Amino acid sequence: MSAKVFFLLPSREYTLDGIRSALGLAVENMYAYGCVMYNDMTDLATNEKDMKEYHMENVEWLRDMEGDCFTIPECNAENFGLTQTNLEEVGQKLRDAEYIIPYGILRADKN
Amino acid sequence: MAKSIGIFVTSPLHMRHVMGVTKAAVAKGAKVKVFFTWFATHLAKCKDFPELCAMEGVDVSICVDSYKKSGYDITDIPEGLIDTKMATQAQHGAIIEDYDCYLTL
Amino acid sequence: MKILHVMRSAEPADDVKKLIDIVSEGRDNETFNLDVEAPDYDKMIDMVYDADQTICWW
Repeated sequence: MSAKVFFLLPSREYTLDGIRSALGLAVENMYAYGCVMYNDMTDLATNEKDMKEYHMENVEWLRDMEGDCFTIPECNAENFGLTQTNLEEVGQKLRDAEYIIPYGILRADKN
Repeated sequence: MAKSIGIFVTSPLHMRHVMGVTKAAVAKGAKVKVFFTWFATHLAKCKDFPELCAMEGVDVSICVDSYKKSGYDITDIPEGLIDTKMATQAQHGAIIEDYDCYLTL
Repeated sequence: MKILHVMRSAEPADDVKKLIDIVSEGRDNETFNLDVEAPDYDKMIDMVYDADQTICWW
């Protein structure tokens, strides 16, 4: 049976790579999910073209393979179509995950 | 009975824990696989990294794409590694598929 | 189901505490604090072996 894996993405410099890493597991036939916890993704990519053509394509591929990318900040749902959630729901989703990955670092200012 | 342990390293802050956990696991006879990704690939330049790679029963690999994006030349293979261990996220998949216990550091 | 919470920070952020609470509810939980000068890694490995799932929080 395929594993269910959940990436928690709280840090600016690690978010996009965490999504890439989740996609890496999806292509290995796992159910892979990520959640952007604090950052406005507009600030993350080096340029808009890179964001649209590479990173958002990663999110679409993740969804095509029955995974998803959630966001707690509403701006990422509005601007990039990530699936809106909140901290309580994230906790419930974690209860269903076999592998929970607090990805990268969590800075004191949470970004 | 010893179990196998996979360690997915995503933080550049915890090399001492990577070393400590791996040594303790090896001492118990565990097979260990360690995969470094994103900015944790900076740890491949840490002085302890060759010792980690040389441990009996320990399989170490890094994400080559992350290594490049962290500013390194991919032909600059970290001491202790071989080129086939400059790998992809499939190594993370192998940890989940093939190892009994899973850690993120 | 037994969950081992490995704490990389002895004082986790409030959101992390909340996630731990939700994940832990109704389950058998243990905690290992890595955020000390000399962690007992040997003990940690025993706890990892004994758990069904290990989560290494920030």
